[in-house]
Amino acid sequence: MHWGVVTENWHLLSRGMLTTLELSAYAIFFSTLIGLVAAVMRLSRVPIVAQVARLYVEVFRGSPLLITLLFVYFGASYGGYELDTFPAAVIGLSVYEGAYVAEIFRAGLQAVPRSQWEAARILGLTQPRAFWHVVLPQTRTIALPPLVGQYISLIKDSSLAIVIGLAELSREGQAIVDRVGQPLPIYLAIAGLYFVICYPLSVWVRVMERKSRYS
Amino acid sequence: MTLLEEKTQTMITLRNVTKSFGSVDVLHGVNLDVAQGEVLVLIGASGSGKSTLLRMMSGLETVDSGEVWVNSVPLHDKRRAREIRGHVGMVFQQFALFPHRTALGNVTLALRKVRRMSREAAATVATEQLTRVGLADKLRSYPSQLSGGQQQRVAIARALAMEPTVMFFDEATSALDPELVGEVTGVMRDLAQEGMTMVVVTHEMRFAREAADRVVFMDGGVIAEEGAPDQIFANPQNPRTQQFLHRVLDV
Repeated sequence: MHWGVVTENWHLLSRGMLTTLELSAYAIFFSTLIGLVAAVMRLSRVPIVAQVARLYVEVFRGSPLLITLLFVYFGASYGGYELDTFPAAVIGLSVYEGAYVAEIFRAGLQAVPRSQWEAARILGLTQPRAFWHVVLPQTRTIALPPLVGQYISLIKDSSLAIVIGLAELSREGQAIVDRVGQPLPIYLAIAGLYFVICYPLSVWVRVMERKSRYS
Repeated sequence: MTLLEEKTQTMITLRNVTKSFGSVDVLHGVNLDVAQGEVLVLIGASGSGKSTLLRMMSGLETVDSGEVWVNSVPLHDKRRAREIRGHVGMVFQQFALFPHRTALGNVTLALRKVRRMSREAAATVATEQLTRVGLADKLRSYPSQLSGGQQQRVAIARALAMEPTVMFFDEATSALDPELVGEVTGVMRDLAQEGMTMVVVTHEMRFAREAADRVVFMDGGVIAEEGAPDQIFANPQNPRTQQFLHRVLDV
């Protein structure tokens, strides 16, 4: 194996890695936002609101990310919008992962006893305030570990943005292989770089878990 | 004039209150008045409707029909029911403390977000209230670090900090170890002494006998008997009351 091929093309790999990081950061932010809203909607007492959220979750959990990405990218141009690959990837990834995040938040929210809502209500807190200050913080112990697990999946899933031509980490690697061969060291390097991104998240959630015993 | 006087003296009025959950009739036709400063104790077997009645007076449940007035707020009117929030206190069987906040944080939350107090002012009030229930040394403790009796006293302090017009207690000592009951009923007695209007659902017959101004016995969703504690405990008229007291007093 010639490891030289990795160092020679390092600038391409690091550029790809930065794109992957940027795409993941945006998608983590938006999927969390979407997931939180969808989870709250699913627990709504208004049937139509809950049904809309349920439909969203079922549709995106029931279809491959590959299709979602292609659908967003090419669907936009059908609709007359010119969408760059990066925003298209952010949208596709966020909407797809948001469905999983919604289920994680839902499980967390449902684990909070009803009496917490009631106590907050009698104290005079409005529903949004009760949610933000009383209920949501309590989902942390239950929701944080699977949530970070989902973020790790998201980072790896972001490699699928290759199908719409986004020059993220795997695509840059693929391009090098196409140009100079040497698939083994290049693919190993790519795997290593994904690991470098994901592993700190694993460590972080373990530390948080140990700390979050309310004391 | 007399009408006005009567109004200010009556804190809670229930007229013909009915409630069912699905096919289960929980309350049918309850009438009750609670005067300002009165300590009313609701007793009865589980399923008799006493907890539902209490939750109705605190605004957690709505009536199917009838009227509920608390501190001049019509709780049967859905548009106005929310006016009562933040003005009555409720103490739950399972404490319902916020586990992610310290004792102090539990008390300050509503002071800050509902009463709009500054951080310092809220902390002062909260410290005062926690001292009042004997927890001056536990301000920074999380609920999980406190005993059941201490947790329930935090819950009482949290309610009192809002300066409620009425305090409701829903089996506040039922989840406690027997040796911890006294510290909670002690706080409740002090409150009664200070003239707080209280409606208490409890199985602590000693508390009912010693601290209540009036005892209401509920059975099958109606008030079966009511009267001064001496009368209810020494000389109950209704056979159902007699049976119930016989069972719980273990005589």
